Amino acid sequence: MSNIDTNNSPVIESGQSAWIKYFGGMALASLPLALFVDDPNWLNIIAFTYLMGGLASSWNIIGGFGGQHSLGHGVFFGIGAYMTAGLFVNYGWTPWLSMLIAAVTAAAVSALISWPTFRLRGPFFAIATLAFNEVAFVMANHFDSVTGGPRGIMIPFKAGVENMIFKERWQYALLMFGFVAIVVAFSVWLRRSRLGYYLLAVREDEDSARASGIHVLSVKLQGMAISAAFTAIGGALFAMYLRFIDPPTIFNLQDIGVKFFLLSLIGGVGTVAGPLLGAALIVPFENILRVEFADALPGFNLAVLGFLMVLAALFMKRGVVGAIQDLIQRRRNKREPS
Amino acid sequence: MSTALLSVDNVSKHFLGLRAVDGVSLSVQQGEIVSIIGPNGAGKTTLFNLLTGQLSPTAGEVFFKGQRINQLPPHDRARLGMGRTFQISKPLIALTALENVMIGAFMRHHDMQEACDRAIDVLERVGLMYLARRRAGDLTLSERRRLEVARALALEPEIVLLDEVMAGLNQSEVGQAIDLLKGLHAEGHTFLIIEHNLKVVRAFSERVVVLDRGRWIGEGSAEEILTSPDVIKAYLGEGHMGSQGKQAQGEAV
Repeated sequence: MSNIDTNNSPVIESGQSAWIKYFGGMALASLPLALFVDDPNWLNIIAFTYLMGGLASSWNIIGGFGGQHSLGHGVFFGIGAYMTAGLFVNYGWTPWLSMLIAAVTAAAVSALISWPTFRLRGPFFAIATLAFNEVAFVMANHFDSVTGGPRGIMIPFKAGVENMIFKERWQYALLMFGFVAIVVAFSVWLRRSRLGYYLLAVREDEDSARASGIHVLSVKLQGMAISAAFTAIGGALFAMYLRFIDPPTIFNLQDIGVKFFLLSLIGGVGTVAGPLLGAALIVPFENILRVEFADALPGFNLAVLGFLMVLAALFMKRGVVGAIQDLIQRRRNKREPS
Repeated sequence: MSTALLSVDNVSKHFLGLRAVDGVSLSVQQGEIVSIIGPNGAGKTTLFNLLTGQLSPTAGEVFFKGQRINQLPPHDRARLGMGRTFQISKPLIALTALENVMIGAFMRHHDMQEACDRAIDVLERVGLMYLARRRAGDLTLSERRRLEVARALALEPEIVLLDEVMAGLNQSEVGQAIDLLKGLHAEGHTFLIIEHNLKVVRAFSERVVVLDRGRWIGEGSAEEILTSPDVIKAYLGEGHMGSQGKQAQGEAV
């Protein structure tokens, strides 16, 4: 029985089955958009959920697969937001092009700041990246000729696809859905690629990775650059959706910089579906809390979020997806005892 | 300059005042199995780390395939053809056994399917194919050791350095591991082995190098070495001269 099972089913998940899962998952993820297409309040929450899902998935590329828990992704998010907004307001450049320029810039900046920090391991790396977020915050306030300083940048409402400014909420939600669909598709590909496996190897044990011929620093830098590029695109979309950005919004740790990590942690760090699932569970919930308790108990949403984090850390170390995978693995082990 | 596959020439490693390895020379020819033995603190692991690139020597030279590799980082040594295992096995516990071996295979095969096929070949060779889909974290110690060897072999190395692969295994598992290594040797693989277990050394080593307190104290066939008074003295201390190497087995596990 166990022999037949091993011979007939593939020893490794085929690309086809991974992509079928992807399209199934994306169809499911698009349902809320279809259902609430006439409800602007819900569309707002849905658009943010997609955006945060895409951003958490971007973070997950280096933070989850590569195991480098960056808390400085707000920097790349900020590069995307400020470059795209700035180029649009000052020079009329289309955001579709500026966000790609911002992505390349963020990748380059990520290499620059990662070069020294990747020598640090574990919590030391996380704290060093946190410092970069604060540096970016101070710089955005200081260089007001570029960033508008504390006043921020206001993007005028000029509707048009070429301006990435839309009249309808559902159009934004669709845009955000496109973003998360692309980032998750990339993650599906990455998880089954050489670079993806190398990132996992580096995460698990650097000495062991080196012994397998892996240039650890180079793999980390590649993972970080890709992650930073996608994060910058997310920042660009955020700026064009809100049409107002300022340093406290962009470099906010609890809503941006650390949030990507948090959503991934709850959904399942280092899994393809985890970050999106984390966003789907947390972002709408938090939005409702924020609205319901805005007057009576300001900050209550953060308290609840913190409590959920503690629960996840105690009982689901690999997040929701990890818990499900453990169940499946346990059943499989029972079916084919060695 | 050297015809040996892997060699060290008068190599030393000092940690502050401690001479962990002190002027050791040895060489491994293609197709050989060479063992390094010695009591605890003899400098075996330090020497091993000098060979694999975890450490670079204070003095002396390390050569691999005629190339001086004193400063070459571990991943470049792997590319050059050096596979290794770790004393404390370090599998990627969240991945399956197959995926663990694939990571090694990716070095020479960039294509996913090719790397997967190659990994399956290696798993079959070491007798782990039936566990291919099992998560590495769920394997027993003996299976993990076997997986370590598989990961090293997946690099298609010209030499495999084994760091106490038998430690912690029971008698029958040691027997199986010896059979595996003998089989691989017969197929032309070259091994350099650090081993504490003298039974293992006696079972297949062509040449044994003995270290004590960082120094080279002898070299020869397993029988010669295990009956040499110097070695017995280093291993067991004074007073065991009559008992020869036999009792050493039990002592060494």
